[in-house]
Amino acid sequence: MFPLDQPLPTMFYLTLYVVTLVVHVLFMNYVLAGSAYVAWVSVFRGTDGQRPTAPAARVLRDWMPAALSAAITAGVAPLLFLQILYKKDFYTANLLLFHRWMAILPVLIVGFYLTYFLKSKRITHRHGLVRAAIGVGAFACFAFVAYSWTENHLLSQRSQVFKTAFYATSSIIYTDPRLLPRLGIWFFGAFPTMVWMLGWQLRYQRNTGQPVPGSEFKRLAVTGVVGLAMAGLCACGYLWAGPADEVGGSVIFGQSALVWTVSSLMGGLVLLIGLVWLAICPDQPTRSLALATVGSVVAILGATCVREVVRLNRVDLEPLYTQHAAAMKVGGLWVFLLFFAVNGVLIAWCFALARRKMGPLNA
Amino acid sequence: MTYYPLNDFGPVMKGMVIGGLGIFHVFLAQFAIGGGMLMCYLQWLAMRRPKVTSPAIDPHSQLFRAFLDSYFKTLVLISFVLGALTGVAMWFTTIQVSARTIGVMVDEFHWIWATEWTFFCLEIVSGYTFYRYGKGLTDRARMTLLVLYSIAAWFSLFWINGILSWQLTPALGQPGSLWANFFNPSFWPSLFFRTVVSMTIAALAGCVVVNTMSEIGREERTVLINRMAHFLGAMVVMPLLAWWYFSVIPADSRQWVMGGSIAMTLFFMVSAGASLLIGGYAVMALIKQRLYINGATATLLLALAFAATGGGEFVREGVRKPYTIRGALYSNSIVPDEVAHLRNVGLTTDDPYPLRDAQAYPNNQLRLGAMVFRDQCSVCHTMDGANALVHLAGSWTLDQKRLNFAKLQHLKTFMPPFVGNAHELEAVVQLVTWNADNRPTDWPDTSQTAPFTEIERYLEQAGTGSGLSTLPPHTNSADRLTRAATGPQ
Repeated sequence: MFPLDQPLPTMFYLTLYVVTLVVHVLFMNYVLAGSAYVAWVSVFRGTDGQRPTAPAARVLRDWMPAALSAAITAGVAPLLFLQILYKKDFYTANLLLFHRWMAILPVLIVGFYLTYFLKSKRITHRHGLVRAAIGVGAFACFAFVAYSWTENHLLSQRSQVFKTAFYATSSIIYTDPRLLPRLGIWFFGAFPTMVWMLGWQLRYQRNTGQPVPGSEFKRLAVTGVVGLAMAGLCACGYLWAGPADEVGGSVIFGQSALVWTVSSLMGGLVLLIGLVWLAICPDQPTRSLALATVGSVVAILGATCVREVVRLNRVDLEPLYTQHAAAMKVGGLWVFLLFFAVNGVLIAWCFALARRKMGPLNA
Repeated sequence: MTYYPLNDFGPVMKGMVIGGLGIFHVFLAQFAIGGGMLMCYLQWLAMRRPKVTSPAIDPHSQLFRAFLDSYFKTLVLISFVLGALTGVAMWFTTIQVSARTIGVMVDEFHWIWATEWTFFCLEIVSGYTFYRYGKGLTDRARMTLLVLYSIAAWFSLFWINGILSWQLTPALGQPGSLWANFFNPSFWPSLFFRTVVSMTIAALAGCVVVNTMSEIGREERTVLINRMAHFLGAMVVMPLLAWWYFSVIPADSRQWVMGGSIAMTLFFMVSAGASLLIGGYAVMALIKQRLYINGATATLLLALAFAATGGGEFVREGVRKPYTIRGALYSNSIVPDEVAHLRNVGLTTDDPYPLRDAQAYPNNQLRLGAMVFRDQCSVCHTMDGANALVHLAGSWTLDQKRLNFAKLQHLKTFMPPFVGNAHELEAVVQLVTWNADNRPTDWPDTSQTAPFTEIERYLEQAGTGSGLSTLPPHTNSADRLTRAATGPQ
């Protein structure tokens, strides 16, 4: 079973990679689906500039820059472990895509600033078309980054012969029949995560006395269910477009991935139940949100493990075992663990300060 | 040797891309670090009572708070977005320029990087907490968040500084010791110098921000500027720290800055001159005479600080030559221990990636030369753009090229040795000559007629080692790095 079927050092780095990637994915899903939601609301429900802003969209606009910052920060850790694990394949894909790949950085910067624009008071009072353009622009930036990561991931798993031929073409755009369905899994699968995260935020607002109608929870729940269903359809499309061994299930239902495939499916089912419950009882969101949260995290963890098993089926890690073993012998792990704990406590302290009742200024 | 699919950056030198981005990122990162310290200072001023016997707090306390909130907003909008993303961009750009270098660095220091990441997380959380809730919090809570932010930001510098300074002064004599490498000879002077630079940038940026605050008058702005000028006072120790730094870096690196390489000397002079101007203005005008500066002057001083940062970073990158990791990896991503082997088998023999523009060359020898150029020279040179081979060597005679290319590391000690066999060297000679002659459609192939015995003799005389005389002999530590760089990746 993954990752226990790997030597200890490789297993160690694979575990760290998967766990940190899951954390990154949670924030990333919030940003990707959240920006899509805001863009949708901006275009279809906000262009007259008169309608009261829906609580969900308002919260998303308010928290989007912080969530993006969290997503980027959380993305650094898996990026580090990815380089230890799959160094040459990852670097080669980066180099092959060249400008196309590097473009994600200026695009992310533009997207980041657009999220700040979205929440600024100056923009709130502008015409709906301006707000719609900014909302769609921000989403387009994040969608481009998602597309680019998907492209990079698929290219990195191709053979050396393919990479050599690809280099010779001078192309910096990689096409693959699996690319769009895979992107679809990520994109639509992001909505359920965004829904429960946003759901907790709205619940907190309601508990602090701010008006959040039950219909808002219901709308969110329906959005999550549609996202989940679409992600399932895209998963079928991905399997259909993929190589025979994956379609036949020998990889995803093989010995290494079976537990995680089942976990992912079961998590998805629990998530679905939580979302349907939320849609039926939107005025009592706590338990349904808790169920959706658990299901979502299990589903993402399972899917992330399956994703790695699929990659390991394509990439020969065996020559890298000695490198992983050497990397593990490099010192510094205990310092990391120490500061991970210390800074974890300090981060919790920051949250506690924010939650504490605001006192009067001394002056 | 691990081969990667190398890209052509056109007329732009790859070093210029990573250097330009690096300077921009370092400037923003140091702004964030110094900004945290400056805000702690201002928050302390807002909270303190001027005299122990006086119950009244500082009359300017509200002013300090208002400025602090405005300054922090600027810091978040610039540093949290551009600073963070240019940091990621540095990673990706380093992959584009030298994948092997970043690979070795990650192998050696991934736990240091992971530790730095925990501080980065704290920096982001404390920063955003202050940004969102700072105005409504008590002074004590504000101070707590600012102190946490400052500590986190400074420790980010602490950890990264260890990795960057290691590239120039790795502890090659101490095998396998992470901490001996991390706390390498240039660690402390570099850390303290960067800390002072951070304080300077933060104070100058503060002077710019003050002048954007329309709600306060000139008198209040002067109060704030005079307070922030205290941070500029730290610049007086810069010469001492610079002297410390230059005293611990390798002698050959120091010689290049002191006139051995005129480009490095000039950049050093730009950096030192700009720092001197800022420091002189700060001490004479802002600290002694307590003058007011307007937005234009503040921006000009900040631009000078950017120039100083640019010059300093160029020098720091430049003095590492011919290595990206001293003693372990050459600038062109070739490991010193690989040179002798590649002299025998050829540099391009095992390179799986073909030429993308093979049709552009009239014969196979020039195609071979283009591959050698791509694999060996293109990281620092272009053919006819920035730092172009045609400009540097186009006018040399054929024999002059053969001799100088073969003895590169002795011609200029910041060049690595030529890697490849005599046929590959001749191919590069022909490629440069062909380009210097405006790329005619017909070009003679000299692969049967060139004086290969002579070229081989030149190569033998040059040897396969570095041209640096001060480099210590290979040690276990260097061997370990070599294994990391040469192993299957």
